[in-house]
Amino acid sequence: MSVSTSQALEYLQGLPGMTQAKLYTQPSAALAIFRRMLPHLAKTIVMAMLYMPKPFPATDLDLWLRPDARRYATMHRDLAMSVLESLHIITTAQEKQGPKAYSLSKDFAKSLKNALTGGGNHSSFGVPINDHDRQEVSIAFLDDYARTQWETILYYMVGSAGTAIAGNHSISSGTKTLLSIGGFVEMKLNRTVITQTGFTFLLQEVNAQVWSLLIVYLENAPTLNMDEVDVLSFLFMLGSLELGQAYSTANLTATQQHMLDDLNDFGIIYRKNVQSSRFYPTRLATTLTSDAGALMSESSSFQNALRSGSESKGYIIIETNYRLYAYTTSLLQIAVLNLFTRLSTRFPNLVSGKLTKESIQRAISYGITSDQIISYLTTHAHPQMQKTVPILPPTVVDQIRLWQIEGDRMRATPGFLMQGFDLNAYTDVSNYAEALGVLVWKSDAKRSFFVSKIDQISAYIKGSQKGKKGE
Amino acid sequence: MALTELPQLQMGFRDIQTANTGFLPAPPPSLLTVVLDTNPHAWELLSSTTGLTLSNVVANLLVFINAHLAFNHVNQVAFIASHVKRAVFLYPTPPKPTPNTNTTANGSAPNGTDTINGTMGDSNKYRPFARIEHEILTNLRALISSTTTSTLRSTTTTMMAGALTTALAYSAKQSVLLSPLADPISAGQDATADYNDGAPASRRGPPLTSRIMVVSVSGDLAHQYISVMNAIFAAQRQKIPIDILKLAGDTVFLQQACDATGGVYVEPEVAEGLLQYLMMAFLPDATARRYLVMPGGGEVDFRAACFCHRKVVDVGFVCSVCLSIFCQPLSDGVCLTCNSRLSLAGAITPAPALFPRKKKKKKRIAGDGTSGASTPMQGVTPGPS
Repeated sequence: MSVSTSQALEYLQGLPGMTQAKLYTQPSAALAIFRRMLPHLAKTIVMAMLYMPKPFPATDLDLWLRPDARRYATMHRDLAMSVLESLHIITTAQEKQGPKAYSLSKDFAKSLKNALTGGGNHSSFGVPINDHDRQEVSIAFLDDYARTQWETILYYMVGSAGTAIAGNHSISSGTKTLLSIGGFVEMKLNRTVITQTGFTFLLQEVNAQVWSLLIVYLENAPTLNMDEVDVLSFLFMLGSLELGQAYSTANLTATQQHMLDDLNDFGIIYRKNVQSSRFYPTRLATTLTSDAGALMSESSSFQNALRSGSESKGYIIIETNYRLYAYTTSLLQIAVLNLFTRLSTRFPNLVSGKLTKESIQRAISYGITSDQIISYLTTHAHPQMQKTVPILPPTVVDQIRLWQIEGDRMRATPGFLMQGFDLNAYTDVSNYAEALGVLVWKSDAKRSFFVSKIDQISAYIKGSQKGKKGE
Repeated sequence: MALTELPQLQMGFRDIQTANTGFLPAPPPSLLTVVLDTNPHAWELLSSTTGLTLSNVVANLLVFINAHLAFNHVNQVAFIASHVKRAVFLYPTPPKPTPNTNTTANGSAPNGTDTINGTMGDSNKYRPFARIEHEILTNLRALISSTTTSTLRSTTTTMMAGALTTALAYSAKQSVLLSPLADPISAGQDATADYNDGAPASRRGPPLTSRIMVVSVSGDLAHQYISVMNAIFAAQRQKIPIDILKLAGDTVFLQQACDATGGVYVEPEVAEGLLQYLMMAFLPDATARRYLVMPGGGEVDFRAACFCHRKVVDVGFVCSVCLSIFCQPLSDGVCLTCNSRLSLAGAITPAPALFPRKKKKKKRIAGDGTSGASTPMQGVTPGPS
C-alpha cells in the first residue's frame, strides 16, 4: 500500500459512520474505495459476499482459510476485517442464539453491484459530452496543463525556501491559504517560509502530494460551507473518469460546482473558463484512485505502461565521489536539487553539482531529513543507475546519514535532577529509579541522578520517609 | 544462459515477497483469460436440459470480469471463444485493439445492436467496464452470425486445444511485455521504466500472474488429446493455473489440466447460482489463493486417449521410443508417431514361464529354529525330488 493510499484510508476511517454510509451510495465511490483502500484479502472476502443471499458465518470464513498457511492467513484476515469494520463495509450480525456472522453494508453492496453491472441511474461515473468541442483538447495538452499548474504550486513552496531560482509563481489566494492551513508553508515576517511538513510534501510522489493537499482541502471543507460527502464523492468520481473526455457540469451539486474552480487551480481538472459547461479531467484526476504514479510515470492504464514514456523518468546520477549529474531542464527539479546540493554548472539538458557537507547540513537545518534526501535520490535515479544494486553508492548514503547525525550530537531529555541525599537514601532511590526504567543518568560521587519521570519516585521517597518516622 | 537465470530471479522475487507478507506493497498485476466454449451443439443441448443459455452465462461472466478488473487497476482480461473448428479472440479485438478514442463506444454502436448504451447508459457505467463489455458482445455476435450451418454440420466438437494454446501464447506475450527480465537492451526496457517509475532494480517488473479459466460445456476432446496435453504441460511449466467451470459434458482431460496446473475445478450443482460460484471460487487470484482453500477436483480421472483411434483407454500399449499410446498392438510393428520399428510381437507372446519359488528354505527355518547349525546344510542340499 502506498503512502497516498494510507493517507486517504486514514482519513476515511476517521469519518463518522453516517458520512461513510452516505458516501457509499455512490457506485463510483464504492468502486474506488474497494479498489484503492482495501487490502487484497478484504477484496476477496467482499466479492465472495457480494452476491451471497445470507450473512457469511465467521466459522465458514475460518474454514475458507488455508490450514497450512494459517498463521499468515489469520494475520491477513485480521487486517482485512479490521479495515472493513472500521470503514463500516462489513457489519457483524449476531443472530439470536446463532453463530457470529458477517454481512455487507447494504448501501455498499448495492453500489458495488451497480458499479459492476452498470445498473441504476445515478450518473456517478460522470456525464460525458460527445459532441465536438470547438477547440480540440488533446491529452498532451491536458498533461501539459496539469504539470504546469501543479509545478506552479510546488514552485511557490520551493521559492519560499529562499532558493535563488524563483519561477513566476502566481497561484491563487485560495491555494495559498490552503497551503498554510495544511502547515506546508507558514508566514514569517510577511514572507512565506516552507515548513518541515512542506519539505516532506515536496519530496513525495506526485500522487501522494495530490492526496495530501486534497485531504487538507477536505478537512477544510466544512469551514467553507461545503459538504464533506459531496467533496469526497466528487473526488472519487474524478478518479473514475476517462482522460481526454469532456464531461458536463450540469448535474453537479453546488458544492461540486464550487470545487471545480479550486481543482482547476490545482491542475486536477481543466476548464476553458469559469462559465464553461464542460470540464476535462487531467491525469492527476484519473490516477487519483489508481496506484499508478500520476505525472511522473504516464502509466494511468496498462496500455500506457507499455508505451515509451516522456523524459521525466529518473534523471539523477550520483558518483561515489559525491558528484551529482541531473539530466533535467525543469526549473522545479533544479530548485528541489538545489535544496541539498551545491550546484555548479548548468548545461542545456544537464545540471551538475556536488553533495557537500555544507549543502546537506543546510538542508537538514531547513528540516529535511537525510532519509527524505536519500529516498528522493533513489526514486529519481537515472535508469542507468537503477540497474545496479544498491541503486545509490553506499558510501554516499552512509555519508549523508553521518552528516545528519553530526548535527544530532546533543539530545535533550526533559526530566528532573535529584540531589541532596545521604548515602543510603541515594543508593536506595537511585536503584528504585533504575528498576523503574526512568533513570537517565547518575553520578555516585555527587550523589545526584536524573530521572525522566518523577511521580513514582516522589511517592517512593515520601513512603520511605514515613516509614522512618514510624520507626 | 539467460534462460537458466530466469527462474532463479523469479524465485528470488517470491522469497522477498513472502518474507514481508506483513504488508504486501501491492499485489502483482493479474491476467485473467476466459476461454468460453461456444459450441452451438452443446449449448443447444444444455439450454434444453437445464435452461441455462449462452447469453445468461455471458452476462454472468461479464460481471465476473468486471469484478476481476475492479480488484486492481493493473489487472487485465482476455476473452477467447472456443468455437467449432476455430478459437477466436473476443477481447482484446484482433488484429489490433480498437483505437482508444472517446468515440469508440458510440462510433461503432450503429452496426451493433447496442444502441441503448448511448449517452444515458455511459454515466452509470465505469467506462473501462463498458468498453470491454461492448467489445466482447459485438465480437460474440459477429462470431455467432458468421457461423453457417455447413460448418456446424461437419463437426460437433469445440476447438479447446486451439483456445488453450492461444490463451497461453497471449499470457506469455503479456508477461514478457510487462517485465522483460532477460533482455535489458531491447525496447522493452522503456516499458519497465515506465511501469514502476524509479523502483529499485530488485523490485522492478512484478511478474504478471496469469490464469486461464475455461467454461466448458461440450465433452469429448479425445481427438485433440495430444494438443490439449501439450497445452497443459506448457501451462504447468509457466505456472499458469487452468481453472475449469464445468457446466456440461464429460471431459477427462480438462480435469487433468486443472489437477496438473493446480487450478480450480468446479461443477456447479445449481446452475442458477453460477455467479456466486464465479465470485467465490474463481475470483481469488494467485495472491489470495495462497491463503485460501480452493475447491479441487477430488477424484481425478488420469486416463489417456490413444493416438490411433482417439479412444480413452484404461490399459494400452506405449511406444518405447516416443511414449505414444495405442489402444491395440500395431499391425505392422511401426509406431505411427515416430516410425520406430517396434518388436511388438515379442512383447505380446504368452507370459513367460515362472519358476516356482523355493519355499522349502523358509519352511525349514520356521520348522526347526532350535538347531541353528544344521539347518543351512540341509537347506542347500535338497534337490527337486
